Amino acid sequence: MLKVRLIPVMTFNGVSLVKTKQFTNARTVGNPIQVARVYNSRNVDELVFVDIKATEQGRKINLPLVKKVIDECFMPVTIGGGIRTFEDINDLLGIGADKVLIKSKALQNPEFIVKAVEYFGSQCISIAVDVIVKDREYLIHQKNDEKVLMKTFIEKMHQCNVGEFVVNSVVCDGMMNGFDKILYQNVSQITTKPIVAVGGAGVPSHFTELVQTNYNGALAASSIYHFTQYTPQEVKKNIE
Amino acid sequence: MIVVIDYGMGNLASVQKVIKSLKKEVKITCDKKEIQKASLIVLPGVGSFEQGMKNLNDLGLVDLLYQEVIQNKKPFLGICLGMQLIMEKGSEPNECNGLGWIKGRVVPIVNSRLPVPHLGWNNTYKHKEENQGDTLLNNFYFIHSFHVLPEEAVECTYVDYEFRMVASIEKENIFATQFHPEKSQNAGLLLLKNYIESYA
Repeated sequence: MLKVRLIPVMTFNGVSLVKTKQFTNARTVGNPIQVARVYNSRNVDELVFVDIKATEQGRKINLPLVKKVIDECFMPVTIGGGIRTFEDINDLLGIGADKVLIKSKALQNPEFIVKAVEYFGSQCISIAVDVIVKDREYLIHQKNDEKVLMKTFIEKMHQCNVGEFVVNSVVCDGMMNGFDKILYQNVSQITTKPIVAVGGAGVPSHFTELVQTNYNGALAASSIYHFTQYTPQEVKKNIE
Repeated sequence: MIVVIDYGMGNLASVQKVIKSLKKEVKITCDKKEIQKASLIVLPGVGSFEQGMKNLNDLGLVDLLYQEVIQNKKPFLGICLGMQLIMEKGSEPNECNGLGWIKGRVVPIVNSRLPVPHLGWNNTYKHKEENQGDTLLNNFYFIHSFHVLPEEAVECTYVDYEFRMVASIEKENIFATQFHPEKSQNAGLLLLKNYIESYA
Protein backbone atom coordinates (compact mmCIF):
# COMPACT_ATOMS: atom_id res chain seq x y z
CA MET A 1 0.00 0.00 0.00
CA LEU A 2 0.98 3.62 -0.44
CA LYS A 3 3.11 5.15 2.26
CA VAL A 4 2.60 8.51 3.89
CA ARG A 5 4.45 11.15 1.90
CA LEU A 6 6.74 13.46 3.88
CA ILE A 7 7.43 16.74 2.14
CA PRO A 8 9.71 19.56 3.27
CA VAL A 9 8.52 22.99 2.12
CA MET A 10 10.98 25.69 1.12
CA THR A 11 9.68 29.27 1.07
CA PHE A 12 11.76 31.78 -0.84
CA ASN A 13 11.48 35.59 -0.92
CA GLY A 14 13.44 36.25 -4.09
CA VAL A 15 16.75 36.49 -2.26
CA SER A 16 17.03 33.71 0.27
CA LEU A 17 15.01 31.01 1.97
CA VAL A 18 12.76 32.39 4.69
CA LYS A 19 10.39 30.98 7.26
CA THR A 20 7.31 32.93 8.28
CA LYS A 21 5.08 32.83 11.35
CA GLN A 22 1.41 33.15 10.46
CA PHE A 23 2.54 34.43 7.06
CA THR A 24 4.48 37.39 8.51
CA ASN A 25 7.83 37.94 10.27
CA ALA A 26 9.87 36.22 7.59
CA ARG A 27 13.13 35.01 9.04
CA THR A 28 16.07 34.08 6.82
CA VAL A 29 16.96 30.41 7.03
CA GLY A 30 19.54 29.85 4.33
CA ASN A 31 20.51 29.21 0.77
CA PRO A 32 17.95 27.26 -1.29
CA ILE A 33 20.46 25.16 -3.23
CA GLN A 34 22.29 23.98 -0.14
CA VAL A 35 19.05 23.22 1.66
CA ALA A 36 17.70 21.28 -1.35
CA ARG A 37 20.92 19.26 -1.41
CA VAL A 38 20.51 18.35 2.25
CA TYR A 39 16.88 17.29 1.76
CA ASN A 40 17.86 15.18 -1.22
CA SER A 41 20.55 13.45 0.81
CA ARG A 42 17.94 12.75 3.50
CA ASN A 43 15.92 10.82 0.93
CA VAL A 44 12.72 12.87 1.36
CA ASP A 45 9.65 11.82 -0.63
CA GLU A 46 9.00 15.10 -2.43
CA LEU A 47 9.93 18.74 -2.22
CA VAL A 48 7.85 21.92 -2.46
CA PHE A 49 9.53 25.21 -3.33
CA VAL A 50 7.51 28.43 -3.31
CA ASP A 51 8.52 31.99 -4.08
CA ILE A 52 6.10 33.62 -1.66
CA LYS A 53 6.81 37.16 -2.87
CA ALA A 54 6.66 36.71 -6.65
CA THR A 55 2.96 37.48 -7.11
CA GLU A 56 2.98 40.33 -4.59
CA GLN A 57 6.03 41.94 -6.22
CA GLY A 58 4.67 41.32 -9.71
CA ARG A 59 7.72 39.43 -10.91
CA LYS A 60 8.42 36.05 -12.44
CA ILE A 61 10.09 33.28 -10.53
CA ASN A 62 13.89 33.12 -10.90
CA LEU A 63 14.20 30.24 -13.38
CA PRO A 64 18.00 29.76 -13.32
CA LEU A 65 17.93 29.53 -9.53
CA VAL A 66 14.93 27.19 -9.49
CA LYS A 67 16.68 24.99 -12.03
CA LYS A 68 19.66 24.70 -9.69
CA VAL A 69 17.32 23.69 -6.86
CA ILE A 70 15.61 21.06 -9.07
CA ASP A 71 18.98 19.74 -10.26
CA GLU A 72 19.79 18.79 -6.67
CA CYS A 73 16.67 16.65 -6.38
CA PHE A 74 16.09 13.04 -7.36
CA MET A 75 12.49 13.06 -6.22
CA PRO A 76 9.34 14.86 -7.40
CA VAL A 77 9.47 18.63 -7.05
CA THR A 78 6.58 21.10 -6.91
CA ILE A 79 7.31 24.75 -7.75
CA GLY A 80 5.06 27.72 -7.00
CA GLY A 81 5.07 31.50 -7.05
CA GLY A 82 3.97 34.10 -9.58
CA ILE A 83 2.49 31.65 -12.10
CA ARG A 84 0.14 33.53 -14.43
CA THR A 85 0.49 32.10 -17.92
CA PHE A 86 0.88 28.83 -19.82
CA GLU A 87 4.37 30.00 -20.63
CA ASP A 88 5.19 30.17 -16.89
CA ILE A 89 4.00 26.59 -16.42
CA ASN A 90 5.81 25.41 -19.53
CA ASP A 91 9.06 27.05 -18.38
CA LEU A 92 8.91 25.32 -15.01
CA LEU A 93 8.06 21.88 -16.43
CA GLY A 94 10.82 22.41 -19.01
CA ILE A 95 13.51 22.78 -16.34
CA GLY A 96 12.33 19.61 -14.61
CA ALA A 97 9.53 20.59 -12.23
CA ASP A 98 6.98 17.81 -11.81
CA LYS A 99 4.12 19.94 -10.55
CA VAL A 100 3.34 23.62 -10.38
CA LEU A 101 1.57 25.20 -7.42
CA ILE A 102 -0.95 27.90 -8.28
CA LYS A 103 -3.02 30.13 -6.01
CA SER A 104 -3.78 33.71 -7.11
CA LYS A 105 -4.47 32.84 -10.73
CA ALA A 106 -6.82 30.04 -9.64
CA LEU A 107 -8.80 32.46 -7.48
CA GLN A 108 -9.00 35.11 -10.19
CA ASN A 109 -9.60 32.88 -13.16
CA PRO A 110 -10.74 29.26 -12.68
CA GLU A 111 -11.08 28.95 -16.46
CA PHE A 112 -7.27 29.21 -16.66
CA ILE A 113 -7.01 26.15 -14.42
CA VAL A 114 -9.48 24.16 -16.57
CA LYS A 115 -7.35 24.88 -19.62
CA ALA A 116 -4.06 24.20 -17.83
CA VAL A 117 -5.35 20.81 -16.67
CA GLU A 118 -6.43 19.94 -20.21
CA TYR A 119 -3.17 21.05 -21.72
CA PHE A 120 -0.57 19.89 -19.17
CA GLY A 121 -2.46 17.05 -17.47
CA SER A 122 -4.05 17.11 -14.05
CA GLN A 123 -1.10 15.35 -12.40
CA CYS A 124 1.04 18.47 -12.64
CA ILE A 125 -1.43 21.14 -11.53
CA SER A 126 -1.48 21.63 -7.75
CA ILE A 127 -3.57 24.26 -6.02
CA ALA A 128 -2.40 26.18 -2.95
CA VAL A 129 -5.16 26.67 -0.40
CA ASP A 130 -4.06 29.10 2.33
CA VAL A 131 -6.69 29.02 5.02
CA ILE A 132 -7.68 31.49 7.75
CA VAL A 133 -10.42 31.16 10.35
CA LYS A 134 -12.94 33.96 10.71
CA ASP A 135 -16.25 33.79 12.61
CA ARG A 136 -15.84 30.02 12.91
CA GLU A 137 -15.57 29.62 9.13
CA TYR A 138 -12.63 28.50 7.01
CA LEU A 139 -11.84 31.20 4.46
CA ILE A 140 -9.14 31.67 1.84
CA HIS A 141 -6.33 33.99 2.92
CA GLN A 142 -6.08 36.90 0.47
CA LYS A 143 -4.29 40.21 0.30
CA ASN A 144 -7.58 41.97 -0.44
CA ASP A 145 -10.29 41.22 2.08
CA GLU A 146 -12.64 39.54 -0.34
CA LYS A 147 -14.45 36.70 1.42
CA VAL A 148 -14.04 33.34 -0.28
CA LEU A 149 -15.15 30.23 1.57
CA MET A 150 -12.54 27.48 1.54
CA LYS A 151 -15.27 24.96 0.74
CA THR A 152 -16.43 26.90 -2.33
CA PHE A 153 -12.90 27.29 -3.65
CA ILE A 154 -11.91 23.65 -3.18
CA GLU A 155 -15.18 22.43 -4.72
CA LYS A 156 -14.61 24.63 -7.74
CA MET A 157 -11.03 23.44 -8.17
CA HIS A 158 -12.12 19.83 -7.68
CA GLN A 159 -14.49 20.28 -10.63
CA CYS A 160 -11.58 21.65 -12.66
CA ASN A 161 -9.97 18.23 -12.02
CA VAL A 162 -6.74 19.56 -10.49
CA GLY A 163 -4.15 17.03 -9.34
CA GLU A 164 -3.65 17.97 -5.72
CA PHE A 165 -4.41 20.49 -2.96
CA VAL A 166 -1.68 21.93 -0.74
CA VAL A 167 -3.62 23.14 2.28
CA ASN A 168 -1.77 25.55 4.54
CA SER A 169 -3.20 26.84 7.81
CA VAL A 170 -2.17 30.48 8.24
CA VAL A 171 -2.94 30.40 11.98
CA CYS A 172 -0.68 27.39 12.51
CA ASP A 173 2.08 28.51 10.09
CA GLY A 174 5.45 28.56 11.86
CA MET A 175 3.92 28.17 15.33
CA MET A 176 5.10 24.56 15.71
CA ASN A 177 2.14 23.69 17.94
CA GLY A 178 0.67 20.96 15.75
CA PHE A 179 -1.56 20.69 12.68
CA ASP A 180 -5.16 21.94 12.57
CA LYS A 181 -6.68 18.44 12.56
CA ILE A 182 -10.25 19.65 12.09
CA LEU A 183 -9.23 21.59 8.99
CA TYR A 184 -7.94 18.45 7.26
CA GLN A 185 -10.99 16.42 8.25
CA ASN A 186 -13.04 19.16 6.63
CA VAL A 187 -10.97 19.19 3.45
CA SER A 188 -11.11 15.38 3.19
CA GLN A 189 -14.89 15.61 3.15
CA ILE A 190 -14.90 18.21 0.37
CA THR A 191 -12.55 16.52 -2.08
CA THR A 192 -11.26 13.03 -2.86
CA LYS A 193 -8.15 14.45 -4.56
CA PRO A 194 -4.77 14.04 -2.87
CA ILE A 195 -4.17 16.56 -0.07
CA VAL A 196 -0.92 17.91 1.35
CA ALA A 197 -1.21 19.28 4.89
CA VAL A 198 1.12 22.14 5.85
CA GLY A 199 1.37 24.34 8.89
CA GLY A 200 2.10 23.66 12.52
CA ALA A 201 4.43 20.68 12.79
CA GLY A 202 6.99 21.18 15.55
CA VAL A 203 7.74 17.68 16.85
CA PRO A 204 7.38 14.20 15.26
CA SER A 205 4.29 13.40 17.32
CA HIS A 206 2.37 16.18 15.55
CA PHE A 207 2.56 14.17 12.31
CA THR A 208 1.46 10.99 14.06
CA GLU A 209 -1.50 12.77 15.66
CA LEU A 210 -2.74 13.91 12.24
CA VAL A 211 -2.32 10.44 10.72
CA GLN A 212 -4.30 8.98 13.63
CA THR A 213 -7.35 11.04 12.65
CA ASN A 214 -7.59 8.79 9.55
CA TYR A 215 -6.15 11.56 7.43
CA ASN A 216 -4.55 9.86 4.44
CA GLY A 217 -2.90 12.76 2.66
CA ALA A 218 0.70 13.89 2.62
CA LEU A 219 2.48 15.62 5.50
CA ALA A 220 4.47 18.73 4.76
CA ALA A 221 6.45 20.94 7.09
CA SER A 222 9.13 23.54 7.21
CA SER A 223 10.02 24.96 10.64
CA ILE A 224 10.64 21.57 12.22
CA TYR A 225 13.34 20.86 9.65
CA HIS A 226 14.86 24.34 9.82
CA PHE A 227 14.81 24.94 13.57
CA THR A 228 14.92 21.60 15.38
CA GLN A 229 17.16 18.58 15.50
CA TYR A 230 14.50 16.39 13.87
CA THR A 231 15.15 15.17 10.34
CA PRO A 232 12.56 13.85 7.86
CA GLN A 233 13.96 10.35 8.48
CA GLU A 234 13.25 10.55 12.20
CA VAL A 235 9.74 11.84 11.55
CA LYS A 236 9.11 8.98 9.14
CA LYS A 237 10.38 6.40 11.60
CA ASN A 238 8.04 7.85 14.18
CA ILE A 239 5.02 7.52 11.88
CA GLU A 240 5.81 3.96 10.88
CA MET B 1 25.21 7.21 -26.49
CA ILE B 2 21.84 7.01 -24.78
CA VAL B 3 18.89 8.62 -26.55
CA VAL B 4 15.85 9.93 -24.67
CA ILE B 5 13.01 10.25 -27.15
CA ASP B 6 11.55 13.72 -27.36
CA TYR B 7 7.92 13.37 -28.42
CA GLY B 8 6.32 16.19 -26.46
CA MET B 9 5.08 14.08 -23.56
CA GLY B 10 6.22 15.47 -20.26
CA ASN B 11 9.27 15.69 -18.12
CA LEU B 12 12.38 14.63 -20.01
CA ALA B 13 14.76 16.79 -18.02
CA SER B 14 14.74 14.55 -14.95
CA VAL B 15 15.60 11.42 -16.93
CA GLN B 16 18.42 13.28 -18.60
CA LYS B 17 19.65 14.52 -15.22
CA VAL B 18 19.91 11.01 -13.80
CA ILE B 19 21.74 9.65 -16.84
CA LYS B 20 24.15 12.57 -16.70
CA SER B 21 24.77 11.92 -13.01
CA LEU B 22 25.91 8.43 -14.05
CA LYS B 23 28.48 10.10 -16.31
CA LYS B 24 26.93 8.74 -19.48
CA GLU B 25 26.47 10.61 -22.71
CA VAL B 26 22.79 11.38 -23.30
CA LYS B 27 20.82 13.20 -25.95
CA ILE B 28 17.17 14.27 -25.92
CA THR B 29 16.04 14.04 -29.52
CA CYS B 30 13.46 12.88 -32.05
CA ASP B 31 16.00 12.71 -34.87
CA LYS B 32 15.84 9.34 -36.62
CA LYS B 33 19.56 9.14 -37.35
CA GLU B 34 20.42 9.79 -33.69
CA ILE B 35 17.96 7.11 -32.59
CA GLN B 36 19.54 4.63 -35.00
CA LYS B 37 22.97 5.39 -33.58
CA ALA B 38 21.89 5.04 -29.93
CA SER B 39 23.16 2.22 -27.74
CA LEU B 40 20.06 2.46 -25.54
CA ILE B 41 16.67 4.01 -26.25
CA VAL B 42 14.70 5.57 -23.39
CA LEU B 43 11.01 6.40 -23.82
CA PRO B 44 9.72 8.33 -20.80
CA GLY B 45 6.43 10.21 -20.76
CA VAL B 46 3.55 11.63 -18.83
CA GLY B 47 0.11 12.18 -20.32
CA SER B 48 -2.55 10.40 -22.29
CA PHE B 49 -1.98 7.21 -24.28
CA GLU B 50 -3.78 8.45 -27.38
CA GLN B 51 -1.81 11.70 -27.50
CA GLY B 52 1.44 9.81 -26.97
CA MET B 53 0.74 7.48 -29.93
CA LYS B 54 -0.37 10.42 -32.06
CA ASN B 55 2.89 12.25 -31.36
CA LEU B 56 5.00 9.17 -32.15
CA ASN B 57 3.05 8.70 -35.39
CA ASP B 58 3.37 12.36 -36.35
CA LEU B 59 7.13 12.18 -35.85
CA GLY B 60 7.26 9.01 -37.95
CA LEU B 61 8.88 7.09 -35.11
CA VAL B 62 6.58 4.08 -34.81
CA ASP B 63 8.19 2.03 -37.61
CA LEU B 64 11.68 3.19 -36.71
CA LEU B 65 11.25 2.09 -33.08
CA TYR B 66 9.90 -1.28 -34.24
CA GLN B 67 12.94 -1.71 -36.44
CA GLU B 68 15.42 -0.74 -33.73
CA VAL B 69 13.86 -2.43 -30.70
CA ILE B 70 12.11 -5.50 -32.12
CA GLN B 71 14.19 -6.32 -35.20
CA ASN B 72 17.63 -5.07 -34.13
CA LYS B 73 17.04 -5.95 -30.45
CA LYS B 74 18.40 -2.65 -29.20
CA PRO B 75 18.03 -2.19 -25.41
CA PHE B 76 14.87 -0.23 -24.62
CA LEU B 77 13.77 1.39 -21.38
CA GLY B 78 10.16 2.60 -21.09
CA ILE B 79 9.02 4.72 -18.16
CA CYS B 80 5.39 5.31 -17.10
CA LEU B 81 3.57 6.23 -20.35
CA GLY B 82 6.61 4.79 -22.13
CA MET B 83 5.74 1.41 -20.59
CA GLN B 84 2.05 1.67 -21.43
CA LEU B 85 2.72 2.54 -25.09
CA ILE B 86 4.51 -0.77 -25.79
CA MET B 87 1.25 -2.66 -25.22
CA GLU B 88 -1.19 -3.52 -28.00
CA LYS B 89 -4.12 -1.34 -26.96
CA GLY B 90 -4.78 1.68 -24.80
CA SER B 91 -8.00 3.34 -23.69
CA GLU B 92 -7.02 6.83 -22.57
CA PRO B 93 -9.22 8.66 -23.36
CA ASN B 94 -10.42 6.56 -26.33
CA GLU B 95 -9.61 3.03 -27.45
CA CYS B 96 -6.52 3.09 -29.68
CA ASN B 97 -3.58 0.98 -30.80
CA GLY B 98 -0.22 1.07 -29.08
CA LEU B 99 3.20 0.01 -30.30
CA GLY B 100 2.08 -3.58 -29.75
CA TRP B 101 5.43 -5.08 -28.72
CA ILE B 102 3.83 -6.91 -25.84
CA LYS B 103 0.43 -8.57 -25.97
CA GLY B 104 -2.07 -6.94 -23.65
CA ARG B 105 -4.00 -3.81 -22.83
CA VAL B 106 -3.85 -0.66 -20.76
CA VAL B 107 -6.93 -0.12 -18.60
CA PRO B 108 -8.09 2.45 -16.02
CA ILE B 109 -7.45 1.83 -12.34
CA VAL B 110 -10.87 1.20 -10.86
CA ASN B 111 -10.84 1.46 -7.13
CA SER B 112 -13.90 2.22 -5.09
CA ARG B 113 -12.18 2.99 -1.84
CA LEU B 114 -8.85 4.60 -2.68
CA PRO B 115 -8.11 7.73 -4.68
CA VAL B 116 -7.07 7.58 -8.33
CA PRO B 117 -4.38 8.41 -9.50
CA HIS B 118 -2.26 5.93 -7.60
CA LEU B 119 0.13 8.62 -6.41
CA GLY B 120 3.03 8.25 -4.01
CA TRP B 121 5.59 5.74 -2.79
CA ASN B 122 4.85 2.05 -2.84
CA ASN B 123 6.79 -1.20 -2.59
CA THR B 124 7.20 -3.48 -5.57
CA TYR B 125 7.66 -7.23 -5.33
CA LYS B 126 8.42 -10.11 -7.61
CA HIS B 127 6.44 -13.04 -6.34
CA LYS B 128 3.06 -13.50 -4.79
CA GLU B 129 3.96 -12.28 -1.35
CA GLU B 130 5.25 -8.83 -0.64
CA ASN B 131 9.01 -8.82 -0.35
CA GLN B 132 9.92 -8.61 3.31
CA GLY B 133 13.55 -7.93 2.54
CA ASP B 134 15.22 -4.61 2.04
CA THR B 135 12.23 -2.34 1.48
CA LEU B 136 14.46 0.63 0.75
CA LEU B 137 15.51 -0.93 -2.52
CA ASN B 138 12.05 -1.53 -3.92
CA ASN B 139 10.27 1.60 -2.74
CA PHE B 140 9.36 3.61 -5.84
CA TYR B 141 7.40 6.71 -6.79
CA PHE B 142 4.22 6.08 -8.78
CA ILE B 143 1.79 8.43 -10.44
CA HIS B 144 -0.71 6.90 -12.85
CA SER B 145 -4.42 6.41 -13.45
CA PHE B 146 -4.09 3.50 -15.90
CA HIS B 147 -2.28 0.18 -15.59
CA VAL B 148 -1.15 -2.55 -17.96
CA LEU B 149 -2.54 -6.08 -18.25
CA PRO B 150 -0.01 -8.22 -20.13
CA GLU B 151 -1.51 -11.22 -21.91
CA GLU B 152 1.70 -13.09 -22.55
CA ALA B 153 4.36 -14.58 -20.31
CA VAL B 154 6.73 -11.75 -19.40
CA GLU B 155 8.88 -11.19 -16.35
CA CYS B 156 6.96 -8.79 -14.08
CA THR B 157 7.19 -7.09 -10.73
CA TYR B 158 4.01 -6.03 -8.98
CA VAL B 159 2.60 -3.37 -6.70
CA ASP B 160 -0.46 -3.53 -4.42
CA TYR B 161 -3.15 -0.86 -4.36
CA GLU B 162 -6.15 -2.78 -3.03
CA PHE B 163 -5.47 -5.08 -5.97
CA ARG B 164 -2.32 -6.19 -7.73
CA MET B 165 -0.94 -4.11 -10.60
CA VAL B 166 2.09 -4.60 -12.82
CA ALA B 167 4.96 -2.36 -11.72
CA SER B 168 7.55 -3.40 -14.30
CA ILE B 169 7.91 -5.65 -17.32
CA GLU B 170 10.95 -7.36 -18.74
CA LYS B 171 11.08 -9.18 -22.05
CA GLU B 172 14.35 -9.82 -23.85
CA ASN B 173 15.83 -6.39 -24.62
CA ILE B 174 12.79 -4.50 -23.33
CA PHE B 175 12.55 -3.22 -19.77
CA ALA B 176 9.75 -0.94 -18.70
CA THR B 177 8.52 0.50 -15.42
CA GLN B 178 5.18 1.99 -14.40
CA PHE B 179 6.91 3.85 -11.57
CA HIS B 180 9.39 6.68 -12.04
CA PRO B 181 12.88 5.42 -11.16
CA GLU B 182 14.26 8.86 -12.03
CA LYS B 183 12.23 10.30 -9.13
CA SER B 184 12.61 7.46 -6.69
CA GLN B 185 15.67 8.62 -4.81
CA ASN B 186 18.28 6.00 -3.93
CA ALA B 187 16.18 3.01 -4.97
CA GLY B 188 15.50 4.47 -8.40
CA LEU B 189 19.03 5.70 -8.93
CA LEU B 190 20.41 2.27 -8.10
CA LEU B 191 18.00 0.56 -10.47
CA LEU B 192 18.88 2.93 -13.31
CA LYS B 193 22.59 2.67 -12.56
CA ASN B 194 22.54 -1.11 -12.71
CA TYR B 195 20.43 -1.14 -15.83
CA ILE B 196 22.25 1.54 -17.74
CA GLU B 197 25.71 0.31 -16.84
CA SER B 198 24.87 -3.12 -18.17
CA TYR B 199 23.90 -1.71 -21.56
CA ALA B 200 25.51 1.62 -22.32
